[in-house]
Amino acid sequence: MKYKDYYAILGVERTAAQEDIRRAYRKLARKFHPDVSKAVDAEDRFKELGEAYEVLKNPEKRAAYDRMGTHWRSGEDFQPPPNWDEGFEFSGTGEASTAHASLNEFFEAMFGGARTAHGPRGPSHSMGEDHHAKVLIDVEDAYRGANRSITLQLPVIDARGHVQLQSRTLNISIPKGVRAGQHLRLAGQGGTGTGSGPAGDLYLEIAFREHSRFHVDGADVSLDLPVAPWEAALGARVTVPTPDGWVEVAVPKGSAGGKRLRLKGKGIPGNPPGDMYMVLNIVLPPADSEQARAAYDTMRQAFNFDPRSRFSG
Amino acid sequence: MNEPETTCLTGEIVDESVEISLVELSRVSGASEQEIELWVAEGVFDPKGTAPREWRFSGASLRRARVAFRLARDLQVNASGIALALDLLDEIDALKSRSRASRTN
Repeated sequence: MKYKDYYAILGVERTAAQEDIRRAYRKLARKFHPDVSKAVDAEDRFKELGEAYEVLKNPEKRAAYDRMGTHWRSGEDFQPPPNWDEGFEFSGTGEASTAHASLNEFFEAMFGGARTAHGPRGPSHSMGEDHHAKVLIDVEDAYRGANRSITLQLPVIDARGHVQLQSRTLNISIPKGVRAGQHLRLAGQGGTGTGSGPAGDLYLEIAFREHSRFHVDGADVSLDLPVAPWEAALGARVTVPTPDGWVEVAVPKGSAGGKRLRLKGKGIPGNPPGDMYMVLNIVLPPADSEQARAAYDTMRQAFNFDPRSRFSG
Repeated sequence: MNEPETTCLTGEIVDESVEISLVELSRVSGASEQEIELWVAEGVFDPKGTAPREWRFSGASLRRARVAFRLARDLQVNASGIALALDLLDEIDALKSRSRASRTN
């Protein structure tokens, strides 16, 4: 088991007042909330903050944690001293405990037993809970539909109040035309109901994996299309990739860099389908040979061209 | 850790054409009906229908409602704060995708 320095996680001194701990938590929670922060590790950071705060905001748990000593460093192998929690009674659960159902070994070992399982509430025949998960798919999957196997980790609170991870593998078919931010509803795949109540539903929120070529904005897909100066100037037919295969595109003559070419209806399928955009990026060939330098020199002589003419205007 | 069970499933896309009632949105998002009513009053959602019982939300509201629920729960943000946060998050998304589009030039 690795020691976790909850004070370092919240960035406060060990002597910090409860008010300072609360303020530090609130500030960091806003910063690392997974819906606000785009940092890749935001979700882990946020969970870690919740765990640290759950212990340090509670004077009993904080005192028990402090009693383990101050000489431990984060990540160090750790065994709690015997009877470290003697004389402490952890009352109730923090209101955040189920929200951030922590699966951390350190936290679970130290404070996990204090969590009480939530019994079924409400009428004895009620529908099971809806479950939510996020699924990353490729943009190509939205064009063609795909079968994907996903593994969901479901925290389940066992009889002793400990959180156990239950994993469940589902083969799901991703329908054609799905977009990022949309949910996929799998009826009856959520939590089991109580009594004769039906099971809840499973909702999968769709997100696209970052793609090296394609950028998705709603139903529209864009691609950076490199062209040679003469292709932009004289016009050309070029073969370009789309998530649905290769297509031939006409680059109009006299195109400027940054010009967007639209392939109507070639975005993510649907009713109506999105569009595909090609953003022209004029790439200069390097002047790395005698012949290339001569060609540039010929251009210089052929054009009476001042790219900075508007500076003198 | 239990043995993984395997099932083969087809899902339904909750898109703009799907209409969701207040009761369903509350159930699926986790937010209470009262909370959602406050968010509607702040303009977070624009459901069809007049009285809360007749409201019909579009499928696209589901994601907004989930984000609103998490922000309210985790950061104790009130209804006007939720409305502001969601507007700003939308704006950040728009700016990010615009700056990415122009960076490729």
